[in-house]
Amino acid sequence: MPHQLAVTIRAFVQPGLLADLEDVLADIAKRGVPNDTLPFDALPGVHFARLFVLPEAEDAGGETIRPSLVYMAEVDAPVDRHFAELAEAVGGGLDLLFGHCVDYPPTPVMPSLRVTWLREHALTRGTTYYVNTVGRGLTQIRQEAQLREAIEGFLDQAGEGWVGRSALEVRARTQQFVSGRPDLVWASSEPDEPSLRWRYMETVHAVAVPLVGLALSPILVPVLPVWAGLLRWHERREVPGRQRPDQARLLEVAEREDFAAQNPFTAVGVIKPGLFRRVTASTVLTLVDYGLRHIFNHGSLTGVKTIHFARWVFIDEHRRLVFASNYDGSLESYMGDFIDLVGWGLNAVFSNGAGYPRTRWLVLDGARDEQAFKNYLHCRQLVTQVWYSAYPSLTGENINTNARLRQGLFGRMTEAEAQTWLALL
Amino acid sequence: MPVALDLEDIQGLVARGYRGLRSACFLLLGVDEPSAARGFLTRTSTKLTTARSSPDDSAVNIAFTWEGLRRLGLPETALAGFPNEFVSGITAPHRSRFLGDVDGGAPAHWLWGGPSTPGVDALLLVYGRDEATLRRRLDELGTDMTGLSEVTRLPATDLPTDQQTFREPFGFRDGISQPLIEGLPAAGSGAGVVRAGEFVLGYPNEYGLLTERPLLPAQADPHRMLPVDPGGSGRADFGRNGSYLALRQLRQDVGGFWRYVEDATRRPDGSSDRDRSVALAAKLVGRWPSGAPLVLSPERDEPQFAAANDFGYYARDPSGLACPLGAHVRRANPRDTLDPQPGSADSLAVNKRHRILRRSRAYGPVYDSRPGPDVDRGLYFICLNANLTRQFEFVQHTWLNNPNFNGLYDDADPLVGARRPDGTTFTQPARPVRRRFLGVPEFVTVRAGGYFFLPGRQALRYLAGGPA
Repeated sequence: MPHQLAVTIRAFVQPGLLADLEDVLADIAKRGVPNDTLPFDALPGVHFARLFVLPEAEDAGGETIRPSLVYMAEVDAPVDRHFAELAEAVGGGLDLLFGHCVDYPPTPVMPSLRVTWLREHALTRGTTYYVNTVGRGLTQIRQEAQLREAIEGFLDQAGEGWVGRSALEVRARTQQFVSGRPDLVWASSEPDEPSLRWRYMETVHAVAVPLVGLALSPILVPVLPVWAGLLRWHERREVPGRQRPDQARLLEVAEREDFAAQNPFTAVGVIKPGLFRRVTASTVLTLVDYGLRHIFNHGSLTGVKTIHFARWVFIDEHRRLVFASNYDGSLESYMGDFIDLVGWGLNAVFSNGAGYPRTRWLVLDGARDEQAFKNYLHCRQLVTQVWYSAYPSLTGENINTNARLRQGLFGRMTEAEAQTWLALL
Repeated sequence: MPVALDLEDIQGLVARGYRGLRSACFLLLGVDEPSAARGFLTRTSTKLTTARSSPDDSAVNIAFTWEGLRRLGLPETALAGFPNEFVSGITAPHRSRFLGDVDGGAPAHWLWGGPSTPGVDALLLVYGRDEATLRRRLDELGTDMTGLSEVTRLPATDLPTDQQTFREPFGFRDGISQPLIEGLPAAGSGAGVVRAGEFVLGYPNEYGLLTERPLLPAQADPHRMLPVDPGGSGRADFGRNGSYLALRQLRQDVGGFWRYVEDATRRPDGSSDRDRSVALAAKLVGRWPSGAPLVLSPERDEPQFAAANDFGYYARDPSGLACPLGAHVRRANPRDTLDPQPGSADSLAVNKRHRILRRSRAYGPVYDSRPGPDVDRGLYFICLNANLTRQFEFVQHTWLNNPNFNGLYDDADPLVGARRPDGTTFTQPARPVRRRFLGVPEFVTVRAGGYFFLPGRQALRYLAGGPA
């Protein structure tokens, strides 16, 4: 199985074409995605995808940033395959949408030209991303969901006929059933791991980063107290935003939420002016990147199990930061999890953003100011005009349970273990 | 130190459900003449039952929709200080979607409070110790009422004289598990107590913060009628001592419910099995008809546990063999089962941020074990909370309606959860294999509803005083 990547394509909208582009996006959304303009379901490696307009904005220095169209997808590696498939199967949709953008080639566009354009407009640096379970590809997720459904149906058939049987016997009968199904033949083997090369590189990264940190410690250790002093000075001086979200916009966002088991979250914030916050934000995200790749890479982000993918992307020369995620359940429960479970982590990143509730020592307070934090997020949340999920009825927990079901299907078990395995159903 | 609640100012419904006042009637009112209506409010404010008194004769409380507050002339600054969910109201389309008010339960079909029914501005809750007392109070209020007209009247079913025999229309004892509110005499102290600010505005909530509420510049309250913002801003606090009240008229298909469990548990020869159908009904609810929780009495109804409420689900029954993971009461109040670590103090702390205070009354014929099929009966579901989004709506959406709650796949709340056209799944964990019930139909339909603000008495007087 491949590892997963966070793809971001961004292009500035041609002056005068924004309204038209938004109409096109609205029309696509109205028809429901996937559709024949954006047949994402035809791409074998796309977990989630979204398109949204980053509206015109001012950075912290008062400079105008033009509106842009952003495509984001969470895909199975390699990225070149995704670009090729996108250019081929979704070519018409790309032309229709990015045709509104500066320097998109004039139609008719050859697929190879689209690939070149996509590569040129991909943001490859400044991205930090979280994957619920690294290495679990879309094929595996779909297959394991299919396996579960098949087993559920099989167990339902016998109904109360199972009463009084041992767990081992039920499991053995289930094994027979699965073995007899040619479409489930893959279930008897372990899922593939990501490529050896990739795993090797990750291990090198896991070891190298702390070593580099150690090597730099003669510099870092004296710098740290200075940084801490500056941090406290900034934290005391900066004025938290007291902006309340606009009703009409709240409604615009809410109208698109709560159709599937997951929702998309897209937001953009301006990094506070000055070098200090820019450097702090980059440094923190470098550390976050390390944590996400090597520690929180298996089903839980410090206790939050409801996030499938999340990413932070620096844009506009680190003047702004985009945050985008795919999470289970409602926005209210998501924000509640933020506050209750990962407030410190969010503080470390988002407190570098203008208007964030006041923090202490980077990680304390901040998100604990419930209403101020929710207002901060609401005010920066963008309308995700187009959103696609490859498995709209499955939560992260469902996907993990399905994986455990497949893992435990074959191989030796005691009666007690078989009981636990059957309880997954 | 426990918080000192201003019991003289808080309306009585926050402190008690008036169980001793067996008769109740809820009047939905529209404002015709704001100034005359304010006169009525001024007169009513002196008769209002507060949290200080424990009435044994009758009680009156009053609440308003956002539109009602606007029509009565509350200043714009106060109106703008209310949260979005209260302003846009229970019928906003996206809200209907996540509350499950769709298809037959959509606001378009509502009896009141919907887009095609007359506007509701105020809710007068009247209680009496018996029918005669209630009628007398209603008559008094009716005679005195000016500037307001009655949109509709919701008469509740009398509670039985013996509280122990009270059953909601499906035949189950209801209202057993209520949060204990910090600062009320009944709460005492201990792990189960929830911060007052979760139910009454202007006091610290479970985050130790004051929930958002309308604050006015001091000059908007020249006569100092309102409490001062305890947050120290110096502003006048229109929200303090108030609470949000969600009222939903829920029709219960009592015949359909009992027919469903009977059919699902028939013997192979087709005859019905009363014990098994009651047992399945209990699995759907999570408690037996007497109220006894399944985690404590998994096999049969043991009335000695009828009021038992001191238990955890994760601690006693982590996989739901006794009380299914999808059972109604296990979803409405998951107790110790929440992430990040079920069974821990953190789990209980998260749970406490999503509690509601229930003040429901039944309507229609009293419960009997052989109900007629087509009688309109159900519940005037009433709950109080300080943050509709984080409390009432969260419980309804994230816990009850969510088909993926608790790691499930396709199981909405079997009793009250929103249904797809083909029903929902109910999974009953068992050994060796769970039993699945597919296509469980809808038993509860929303017939009407609204969001109201139950102000403190000073805020009511301020409102009644009219535009400065």
